[in-house]
Amino acid sequence: MLRAQRGDARAYEELVRPHQEIAFRVAYVITRNAADAEDAVQDALVKAWRALGRFRAGEPLRPWLLRIAANEARNRRRSAGRRERLTLRAAASPGEAAPSPEEALLATSDRERLLDALEALPDAAREVLACRYLLDLSEDETAGALDVRVGTVKSRSARALEKLREAYGTGA
Amino acid sequence: MELERELRDLDVEWPPTPELRLVLEAPQRRRRSRRPLYAAIALVLVALAAAFAVPQSRGAILRFLHLGGETIHFVDTLPPAEERPLGAGLGPVVPLAQARALVPGLPLPPLEEQPPLHQSGNVISLVFRHEGAPVLLSALSQDGSFLKKLVGGQTNAEWVQIFPDSWGLWLSGQPHVFFFPREPARLAGNTLVWTRGDYTFRLEGPTLSRDAALKLARSLKYPGKG
Repeated sequence: MLRAQRGDARAYEELVRPHQEIAFRVAYVITRNAADAEDAVQDALVKAWRALGRFRAGEPLRPWLLRIAANEARNRRRSAGRRERLTLRAAASPGEAAPSPEEALLATSDRERLLDALEALPDAAREVLACRYLLDLSEDETAGALDVRVGTVKSRSARALEKLREAYGTGA
Repeated sequence: MELERELRDLDVEWPPTPELRLVLEAPQRRRRSRRPLYAAIALVLVALAAAFAVPQSRGAILRFLHLGGETIHFVDTLPPAEERPLGAGLGPVVPLAQARALVPGLPLPPLEEQPPLHQSGNVISLVFRHEGAPVLLSALSQDGSFLKKLVGGQTNAEWVQIFPDSWGLWLSGQPHVFFFPREPARLAGNTLVWTRGDYTFRLEGPTLSRDAALKLARSLKYPGKG
């Protein structure tokens, strides 16, 4: 970090490389467009580089980068002004105890249905659930990325889960 | 908790994460008076990055950099784009006061009769004739919207100094792809992009030479700079 803060671009690249994937996915959840998410992350990484002097050494880098990337993604979404679907797909059934082809098909179909229900939620609800459960961000990281308080993450998650339950039709 | 667990177990297929290769300016956390020094450092960084860059066959971003309000992506394959007139899609004509309210640093060409000013988003543009050929001048605040361009391997990119406190990039050779706010991509010819103070400027002309572009950029009337 100190090398990066002194202007070592290669040290900075090494620092941020492990976080590029999660930053891209957070940006994708917000922009719902891979090209916009890519631009948002690139802009974010350059802005973070420019602001690195203000970053306090010893603090975790990932939440800070995610916050900047999410902010850039929101700017892109605003300027793009378009509404796109989150085109995520459920992967094929992971190596669970080898279900029958019919069971595997059913499981995949349920996952697709759950993703469809998630996609149909309002932006705020979809984003908080995607950050917390699809991306496995902590409440603090989610709050930073969505620019809200941790308490808001908790309450918004609870309401979003309620809505998702209704839409998905599970009594869980 | 069942639904939370189902969400966590979804194993989503995300779009592939693009590989980002950064070319970075020196951090801008010092005073403005030292900018030329950092611009010089940026020049060295870009030269170093270019020296280490390995041509790749995939259609990906090889590296990118920000110059004020413009993002320049160096790619190995340019996306499809069409040629369009310089004045296409610049937005409605606005009075000078409105243009200056948006971009206070807007410079004007040294002409007796000023050409119309167009506004698109946070960008002010004007087309005028210079040495018999049309040129497009655009200006934006650095905190405003970003312009974006894609530069392929056949386009030359050269750092140039416009004023003691102002550096830029001269792009020439094969046309590059330029994205104007809310407009489809178009092919752009020789272009000078530079920053001065808090503003980014762009000068494009199909027949513009490097020296003519630099001379024109220096001859513009910048507000408050005479």
